[in-house]
Amino acid sequence: MSDPASAVLEAHDVSKAVTGPAGRLEILRGVSLSVPRGDSFAIVGASGSGKTTLLGLLAGLDSPSSGRILLDGHALHDAGEERRAALRRQLVGFVFQSFHLLPALNAEENVMLPLELDGERQARQRARQALDAVGLAPRAGHYPAQLSGGEQQRVALARAFVHRPQVLFADEPTGNLDQRTGHAVGDLLFDLNRQHATTLVLVTHDMKLAERCAHRAEIVDGQLEPGA
Amino acid sequence: MTALRLALRTLRREWRLAELRTLILALALAVIALGVVATLAARVERGIGASAAELIGGDVGISTPSATPPAMLAKARQRGLRVSRSADFPSVAFANNQTQLLDVTAADHAWPLRGTLEVSDAQGHTRDTHGPATGAVYLDHRAMVALGVKVGDSVQLGGSALKVAAQLVRQPDGGQLVALAPTAIMSLADAKHAGLLGTGSRAKHVLLLAGMPQATASWAQWAGAHLPRGGELITPEKTQQRMRSAFDRAGAFLRLTALLSALLAGVAIALASQRYARRKRDEVALLRALGTPRRRVLALLTWTVTCLALPVALAAALLALGLSEWAWHLAGSLIGDVPTTLPWWPALGAAAMGVAVLVGFALPPLTRLADVPPAAVFRQSLSGRVRRLDGLYLVPLVVALGLIWLQSGSLKLAGILAASLFGVALLAMALSALLLWLAKRLAPGVHPSLRLGLAALTRRRGLSLIQATALSLGLTALLLLSVISPALLNGWRAELPNDTPNWFVLNVQSNQRPDFEQSLKALDAQSLTMAPLAVGKLMAINGTPIDQMQLNNARAKNWADRQLRLSWSGQLPEANKVIAGHWQGPAPAQASVSIDEAWRDMFGLKVGDTMRFQVADTTLETHVSSIRQVNWRSFKVNFFLLLDPAHASVLPHTWIASFYLPSARSTALQSLSRSYPNISLIDVDALLARVRQIIDRVSSAVRWVLGFSLLAGALVLAAALASSAQERRHEAALLRTLGAHGRQLRAAAACEFALLGLVAGLTAAIGAAGAGWWLGQSIFRLHHFVPPLLPLAGYAALAALVVMALGLAGTRAVLRTSPLALLRRG
Repeated sequence: MSDPASAVLEAHDVSKAVTGPAGRLEILRGVSLSVPRGDSFAIVGASGSGKTTLLGLLAGLDSPSSGRILLDGHALHDAGEERRAALRRQLVGFVFQSFHLLPALNAEENVMLPLELDGERQARQRARQALDAVGLAPRAGHYPAQLSGGEQQRVALARAFVHRPQVLFADEPTGNLDQRTGHAVGDLLFDLNRQHATTLVLVTHDMKLAERCAHRAEIVDGQLEPGA
Repeated sequence: MTALRLALRTLRREWRLAELRTLILALALAVIALGVVATLAARVERGIGASAAELIGGDVGISTPSATPPAMLAKARQRGLRVSRSADFPSVAFANNQTQLLDVTAADHAWPLRGTLEVSDAQGHTRDTHGPATGAVYLDHRAMVALGVKVGDSVQLGGSALKVAAQLVRQPDGGQLVALAPTAIMSLADAKHAGLLGTGSRAKHVLLLAGMPQATASWAQWAGAHLPRGGELITPEKTQQRMRSAFDRAGAFLRLTALLSALLAGVAIALASQRYARRKRDEVALLRALGTPRRRVLALLTWTVTCLALPVALAAALLALGLSEWAWHLAGSLIGDVPTTLPWWPALGAAAMGVAVLVGFALPPLTRLADVPPAAVFRQSLSGRVRRLDGLYLVPLVVALGLIWLQSGSLKLAGILAASLFGVALLAMALSALLLWLAKRLAPGVHPSLRLGLAALTRRRGLSLIQATALSLGLTALLLLSVISPALLNGWRAELPNDTPNWFVLNVQSNQRPDFEQSLKALDAQSLTMAPLAVGKLMAINGTPIDQMQLNNARAKNWADRQLRLSWSGQLPEANKVIAGHWQGPAPAQASVSIDEAWRDMFGLKVGDTMRFQVADTTLETHVSSIRQVNWRSFKVNFFLLLDPAHASVLPHTWIASFYLPSARSTALQSLSRSYPNISLIDVDALLARVRQIIDRVSSAVRWVLGFSLLAGALVLAAALASSAQERRHEAALLRTLGAHGRQLRAAAACEFALLGLVAGLTAAIGAAGAGWWLGQSIFRLHHFVPPLLPLAGYAALAALVVMALGLAGTRAVLRTSPLALLRRG
């Protein structure tokens, strides 16, 4: 399953529809893609085009209405939530636009979370190292509310990489940051990605950030158009 | 008015917010619980009052040693009250060459105004009636046996020949325990005609009144201020001691129940408004950023709460009225067949109290919102800074104390409850703080799932403390209602065990005593006690003749004028406790007397004082050796004054006995009555039955109210758990995203909630046991009351399990939802 040349993430004819008060709404239609191991892949598109939904499906946060998704060879499309949770814990890291740090935990405790979930005994030590890697070791005891947006996203990056995931999913990682901070966070994201040889799947409408990825595709009206 | 419009618009938009719904539900439940409880309590109290009125034959009255002053009657008629006149006196009846001293009531045809005068005809058919017509008399069974007459025969009474029109079965007796002689009821006109009520007669003249409560209260107030010499008001509250304490206890139980329900709802309101305030923080920050002045924000919030509170409180008050009417019909047979109208004021009062509770508990967090700086729209941390405690947070405390004060109607009850709940809050905080400290230290060494649960507790430190305290207070109130209150009622019931003496015997002569005891043993009478009884007068205190003493206390004056019952004993009687001095024993060097605390208070007596008594021709100078606290509810023979046997046994005396004989065997006593014609047998079964009936009525009402209290308790639980639901949902979604197992989340939640429940259950069990013991000792005077520790521990454990189960139920919803959807919801 860890053949370097093989695709770590594959989607085949994936669709997602939801039923709301206005009837059935198709968010994604017939999406297929393949991301080689260690590569970086950007999905761009306008707001509401279905980018985050696709990211959620690829990361196993939700199930597709139809189609197949394989993560490191594991079929996500027919796995139950428990199985998908186990795969996420082992294989996946996340970075969100709104950071999603737990407000009642300090920076170090937030970074420890994925390790604690895996029963890691050296969680604190490894969290310290991860924070050191993003330049925030001195602020390990600070709570999210005491950190700037850029610092919060750096903590989120430390949390995303601390358990050495196969694939990192990033949803608008610089969307809530100013240009300069966003650029710095983007640099950090790609540096860490290189260091850990992680596969990066990035959703953004920041074209400059998207251009730093090896592959790009654009979502238009729920359909993926390659080579954006 | 712009603020009002904006407030209405805000409410319309926020109608679907969970915390607003909790707030509305909590307010509605507070008003409904208070309203239903208060309405039921008012009705039950009215019912109990009506029972008391049945005992005295009217709502209120006056007894005077001479003819009732005409002004008393005139004032009653002015107020539109119904009146009845009667007179009580002893008289000797003759028939078949037999004589018998009778306690006679001469009554007009309106008597009794309340209650029942039940008689039976020659065939034994019973009916309710009023005072007899002229020329007729009703005799009780004892009188008929003693005189050897039956219905239809003639007796000579007060010089007139009267026809025995019926046998007296039951009459309003003022709840008096000791009726000295058999009873007769004759017409007032006959008694007047025979000159039985003239000057020099020993008649007690009674005027009884009945009518609207305000009118009777106003008459009683006026009459109390214009009492003639020797006159005494007759009120339901002043009926016999045992009945009075039963009424007091009944009232205390109902007030306690209402109060605890209201406080439960108050806790739910406090929790919901905290949560609502947290939700509003961003909105207020935005309003401030858009240039809304602090004053206007405050006006907006005030209007929002007002617009929410008033209609909900009024609707809930109406609902409370409807529910209590329904409850009254449903439980009518349990509570007693007492016709009362639906009082509307308790429900309106409850609405006002509900609004006060809402304002009191919601005001601090909402008012503090106005302090959110405009810059908080940029930095959430700024809005968090207003979460400080200050004087404003004393408002709910003041409201709670006010509520306790208003509802309890007793400073003592209010003080005990307030102190107990304050103690529970402190204990809950202390235990929670200890738990959090332990959790922090123990977390690294435990299983990762449990570590998550412990971490969750310490993470939400403030919320955990609030949750544990609120749950503890809620559970304490519930345990007090569901475990302590029934236990106290049982304690009260146990004071009157099945073998409580139901017969009293007076006038047993010393030479009859051995045979009389043998006769009773032959009848298998149980719990027999006999005490000597001498009738005398108090002549002097500390050497000063009693008629020269300035007595300010009306009761003291009354005692100084009348014949006293004196007894003696070498041993301290069972239902007595020495509270000052030492028990005199069988043969002290000096003649000694032990006095009841009521006598200490009336005459200002202390240990070492001297009291001189005269019994027939004998004078006895005694010194006060001890002061006793007597349990007058015990239905045992008790005395205010107990002399020592060595010095008192020479006094002329008879014996008084009490014993238990099942009602079914009471006919066997007729032969005893014939063998000892001088003795008076008094059946107190009816009185015992009345006290037991009051206990049953109160138990029924408390059980009914408990249902509403349980709802209020459930709401507290829901509000306490909901107070952290948002954080918990977000946290669970994130943990799920990071790959947490369902079982990890479940184990974490179970660990967190079990610990919360354990702290709350433990605190509540300790708090309820302590408060229950205190209430038992101080309010209900059940000195042997021990809180039922095992059920308390059981319920506390159950509470911990319920809290855990509810916590787990909340986790189930999170586990079923996609983490993506949860994260999007924020």
